[in-house]
Amino acid sequence: MLKLAGWKLPPELRASQPAELRGMRRDHVRLMVIDRTSGSITHTRFDQVGDFLDAGDLLVVNSSRTLPAAIPARRQDGSPVQLRPSVRRGQHWDALAVQPNPPHANVPLAAGERLAVAGTQATVEGRRADIPLLWRIRLDEDGLDRLLLAGEPIRYSYVPGPIPLEYYQTVYATHPGSAEAPSAGLAFSWEVLLGLHERGIETADIVLHTGLSSFQDDAFDAEHHMYEEWFEVSTLAAAAVGRAHRVIAVGTTVVRALETAVDRHGHVRALAGWTDLKISPAHRPRVVDALITGFHEPQASHFELLQAFVDGDLLRRAYAGAIERRYLWHEFGDTMLIL
Amino acid sequence: MSALRGRVALVTGASRGLGRAVALAFAREGALLAICARGAAALEAVAAEVRAAGAAVLAIQADVRNSRDIERVVALTLEGFQRIDILVNNASELGPTPLPYLVDYPPDAFDDVLQVNVVAPFRLSQAVIRSMLTQREGVVINVSSDAAVTGYPGWGAYSVSKAALDGLTRTWAEELEGTGVRIHAVDPGDMDTAMHRAAEPEADPIDLARPEEVAEAFVRLASEPHPATRLEARSLLEVRSRA
Repeated sequence: MLKLAGWKLPPELRASQPAELRGMRRDHVRLMVIDRTSGSITHTRFDQVGDFLDAGDLLVVNSSRTLPAAIPARRQDGSPVQLRPSVRRGQHWDALAVQPNPPHANVPLAAGERLAVAGTQATVEGRRADIPLLWRIRLDEDGLDRLLLAGEPIRYSYVPGPIPLEYYQTVYATHPGSAEAPSAGLAFSWEVLLGLHERGIETADIVLHTGLSSFQDDAFDAEHHMYEEWFEVSTLAAAAVGRAHRVIAVGTTVVRALETAVDRHGHVRALAGWTDLKISPAHRPRVVDALITGFHEPQASHFELLQAFVDGDLLRRAYAGAIERRYLWHEFGDTMLIL
Repeated sequence: MSALRGRVALVTGASRGLGRAVALAFAREGALLAICARGAAALEAVAAEVRAAGAAVLAIQADVRNSRDIERVVALTLEGFQRIDILVNNASELGPTPLPYLVDYPPDAFDDVLQVNVVAPFRLSQAVIRSMLTQREGVVINVSSDAAVTGYPGWGAYSVSKAALDGLTRTWAEELEGTGVRIHAVDPGDMDTAMHRAAEPEADPIDLARPEEVAEAFVRLASEPHPATRLEARSLLEVRSRA
């Protein structure tokens, strides 16, 4: 596992707002293009992405829609707690329980306790055995509407103020279910996508409902716990992948979904279910040829996945270059294309 | 009876008048319906009628002024039916009645009319068209008015809002050219509805079309491409009666 010794992200490089609220178009964020064959790194603007793609290439996007997944709840003693459901199966949630205000430290619940949440009641059934920071919670009544009425988008410390949910949605967001934005695609506009279509660069969409990227516990996060996420690869998407010249995954969620749907002959098949596939240098992608992604801190599991695509030296050079050139980090930041 | 079989339609302001009639007409043609309105009881009554017509229906109490409600309407419809093929932006606000002259118009009421009749259709259409572009097909129908093109004393804010909605439709239609997603503005003509009675209490209902008749134009436009971006419902009905 690659470590970046002494690596530190200057705080001002954390994007604290979406591009549009920084006074620019979402497709005008920066794009770093990493060519693995030549080892070259090119700096450009996201809306130029088509210059690096060819007719016959296929962009695969995650059309999961982001939910307002920070849900206010109240314990029996009247104290407020915020639930962040990471895995939802009907009225069964596996949720983080944190304080309602920054820094959102974990709140220990008690098995058997009752919570008032989103207009209904819920029972805490206990901790999840594999990820003890997630609480198994059973709601008395099911319903996405409760969550949509009560929740706010999950927001981390580098985003100081509330941001309306629509800024967390990609322009192709369709199927509701992600706890956090599948952010690699936030830079796409339909103007860019339709322009790519005209050049013979097609798009297909899969669904992967994202879980939480952080358990609000640095030591625990550093252990890179993986857990299941719901995904769907349609017949249409599988066929498009089969026809494609190169398959460019927009986001690591797409890599996870497509690589889960690969059969033993190396073909992507239509498939839906829960995936706990871990992409890492030990599990190299079989169908994904290239990746569009954001910049995240090397402590994140995201970085381990990147090493399945890019060797350590080049990745280190890319990250150092991004800091030197003041690229912005995190979900509202700049992007990279790994070819 | 199956022009819209399996199509998913979202109709705003569906608890009465034209919205209700369009929802029922779509249901009879085999569509799956998501309907929204502010009043829960009236909306539930229409949902029951749609169900009785044999269609699946999702009734969502929502105020289109509220961006959270817009997200709810879209997300719940997509969760329920996986796609949206037809959006009818029908919810509309006439403004204070009896209709005041612009010179007397309460500015806050003017803002509110524009919110409901222009900003809400923009926001809702944007969210829905994004998903329609992803599926590469869909149709948006905005309910316009004769007042969009003609100045009638007293119809100030409404008239401005419908002219703006026509403009929104025109620009959007150009941008969507060739994508498989189309957008139209339809002037339904004078109808015997609560809104029309509020605007023109003296009008004789005999001279007015029934929303059920006009709704057929929406079925036609939703089921078949049409070259015009803005059109009068009457023109579609005349074509049909000749056929």
